[in-house]
Amino acid sequence: GAEGHWRRFRGVGLARGFLHPSATVEDAAQRRQVAHFTFQPDPEPREYGQTQKMNLFQSVTSALDNSLAKDPTAVIFGEDVAFGGVFRCTVGLRDKYGKDRVFNTPLCEQGIVGFGIGIAVTGATAIAEIQFADYIFPAFDQIVNEAAKYRYRSGDLFNCGSLTIRSPWGCVGHGALYHSQSPEAFFAHCPGIKVVIPRSPFQAKGLLLSCIEDKNPCIFFEPKILYRAAAEQVPIEPYNIPLSQAEVIQEGSDVTLVAWGTQVHVIREVASMAKEKLGVSCEVIDLRTIIPWDVDTVCKSVIKTGRLLISHEAPLTGGFASEISSTVQEECFLNLEAPISRVCGYDTPFPHIFEPFYIPDKWKCYDALRKMINY
Amino acid sequence: MDSPSLRELQQPLLESTECETPAQKPGRHELGSALREIAFAESLRGLQFLSPPLPSVSAGLGEPRPPDVEHPHRQQQQFSSLDDKPQFPGASAEFIDKLEFIQPNVISGIPIYRVMDRQGQIINPSEDPHLPKEKVLKLYKSMTLLNTMDRILYESQRQGRISFYMTNYGEEGTHVGSAAALDNTDLVFGQYREAGVLMYRDYPLELFMAQCYGNISDLGKGRQMPVHYGCKERHFVTISSPLATQIPQAVGAAYAAKRANANRVVICYFGEGAASEGDAHAGFNFAATLECPIIFFCRNNGYAISTPTSEQYRGDGIAARGPGYGIMSIRVDGNDVFAVYNATKEARRRAVAENQPFLIEAMTYRIGHHSTSDDSSAYRSVDEVNYWDKQDHPISRLRHYLLSQGWWDEEQEKAWRKQSRKKVMEAFEQAERKPKPNPNLLFSDVYQEMPAQLRKQQESLARHLQTYGEHYPLEHFDK
Repeated sequence: GAEGHWRRFRGVGLARGFLHPSATVEDAAQRRQVAHFTFQPDPEPREYGQTQKMNLFQSVTSALDNSLAKDPTAVIFGEDVAFGGVFRCTVGLRDKYGKDRVFNTPLCEQGIVGFGIGIAVTGATAIAEIQFADYIFPAFDQIVNEAAKYRYRSGDLFNCGSLTIRSPWGCVGHGALYHSQSPEAFFAHCPGIKVVIPRSPFQAKGLLLSCIEDKNPCIFFEPKILYRAAAEQVPIEPYNIPLSQAEVIQEGSDVTLVAWGTQVHVIREVASMAKEKLGVSCEVIDLRTIIPWDVDTVCKSVIKTGRLLISHEAPLTGGFASEISSTVQEECFLNLEAPISRVCGYDTPFPHIFEPFYIPDKWKCYDALRKMINY
Repeated sequence: MDSPSLRELQQPLLESTECETPAQKPGRHELGSALREIAFAESLRGLQFLSPPLPSVSAGLGEPRPPDVEHPHRQQQQFSSLDDKPQFPGASAEFIDKLEFIQPNVISGIPIYRVMDRQGQIINPSEDPHLPKEKVLKLYKSMTLLNTMDRILYESQRQGRISFYMTNYGEEGTHVGSAAALDNTDLVFGQYREAGVLMYRDYPLELFMAQCYGNISDLGKGRQMPVHYGCKERHFVTISSPLATQIPQAVGAAYAAKRANANRVVICYFGEGAASEGDAHAGFNFAATLECPIIFFCRNNGYAISTPTSEQYRGDGIAARGPGYGIMSIRVDGNDVFAVYNATKEARRRAVAENQPFLIEAMTYRIGHHSTSDDSSAYRSVDEVNYWDKQDHPISRLRHYLLSQGWWDEEQEKAWRKQSRKKVMEAFEQAERKPKPNPNLLFSDVYQEMPAQLRKQQESLARHLQTYGEHYPLEHFDK
């Protein structure tokens, strides 16, 4: 049955939470470990009309559904998207919109992205799926050398702005080296593309719609651990959340905490711990767009608090926290009360059995925060 | 396409709306009576595309149904266990009980289609496309004007006037023969040695020169090395240096053209070296599986810089790969403008009518160096080069044809040489005199809108130039 589609998980223990809708993530977690975060839904949005409870993959489906309804040129393609996708993000779309609009491609990431660029060059909307962010590397040349540079090198005669690449991203509890990666830093170094990472279903739908409509090629990374674990009220109708705008999700005065994707929920909890145990008030920022990133919001916050902690699952060296840290020390040097702290994955490939030790969990973040306060 | 109503489409999926699949253009297995130029097609008896030896895997099996988690009551294909025929989904073939490896045939490879002999005489009159005089003259003048421009621009690099150049010597026939067989609106994705396609589409000399000089008239705004042409008006996508990247892109564009019922073909040029790249494999496979109206045009010119074909591949060139992907394929004499024309014309007609890819491998020879950074005497003999230059050149062969038709003579040749050289020199001198674009154009078009951080960097350069401007070649740039 469905297990036939999990070829990439060969040799790795299959997660019951993925395959069997009836099993909850909590059940699966108790058998091995408790999830390292608690998803905190945002309050029900009021300004976009009727809402429905959706998890992350359903909010992605909803965004794709809205896009294909509005834009007759839009097509969705990639490996296994036709039957609904290995994470069910495209369920129902082929039946609704037809096999010329939602279709499988051969197993070839460089082909998927190259093909998507070509569709976008004609002005049609191309929504490409890379099955796991860990497999985006064969497409690196097409993304960095072609998509990102198409407009610039042609003097704006041609562009592939209507290309969006979506890909599951980040740790999932048991993904190991090749089902857990967060490769945003590789792409951050590439002018010409946008890289966007949502923390929740509501954010995901609005940001994904903005990526699809944006006139520049975008990469949208979807935290796979949140596909089922995150559920909240999401508007049924389309709406946009702006790109390159970070969100201050909690105001504070003593420390600025910055993260994106799943890690936002970790630092939110760290903010509570800091309040409770240390009486420290934290300002929590979800960066949302990695490039071009919202320097002003982060700097404004650090000027206020004087302390900055950035956290991501990706390895420390060359991770995106280093870019934020470098820019903030340039812009806010005299405001800093302590060195900027980065709490990240270790400089190793993403391990399997050691995942609980590898990830930048709330205890590591809390400890780094405590040291910053006591500096 | 009979679209579902907008209202239907806007019903959110979570309420599971039904929707009809849109009407499809005939696929490759439904060759209706879409053949318009039947008389022309019938005359091309000698021109034969090599069909892939196996019928499509899914022919006769219908579209494979995905295993359905949601609806287990849906029936799967019924298989009979009494039948001794193979049941594997992966191939449509008979059993064999003799152990035999298929031997690749490189000794007598796929034959090379040609219309003219090396002296420009038509071999089989029924293959003569009978192009009108104006069209043949346009072919000839495009090739010769390109040749003249190549000589002057190559020389200008040697003199330090432009930084880099690539000539097209010996391959002009592949460019104009194919370009002449397309509609002007057919989208072209090239590699870097297809300037003749633009020349045939009347891209002005001024713009060729502007790009090579990177001056204010360059449509590309001075961002790329010379010969990286592009023209939106003439449907020629801007060239990029990485090889073969254009191949899957061209396939995507063809897919979009098919969806839009544009009745256009996309043509994608690449060399036999680029065909070794992964992107080429990706492009071929996607074009076939997704049924795209695309012509893959491979210029097999014998060398990839210094690497001869014997070190590039071990099979029967690029044409032999087509059937492996399920692609109609042909090998042609690339120095025979009419052969290139006929093959491209027929490929175009069928690609659009049948929504399937075609592969044309045009055999030719790179008479010039790879580029101004190359000296090919380091890896091949002058004799070899001279043979092609003197004995089998697309321009000479077409000129012989023109002469034998009485459409050209020595006097017109002399006059045209003088005129074309004069045109090129005038454009060249003008291009030299023009300033370069304003340095602000270094910063635009990275994104459609300029990000805040980039604007800060732009302002930083402006301030820097205010103080240190004397150390920069500002006098050559537009203010």
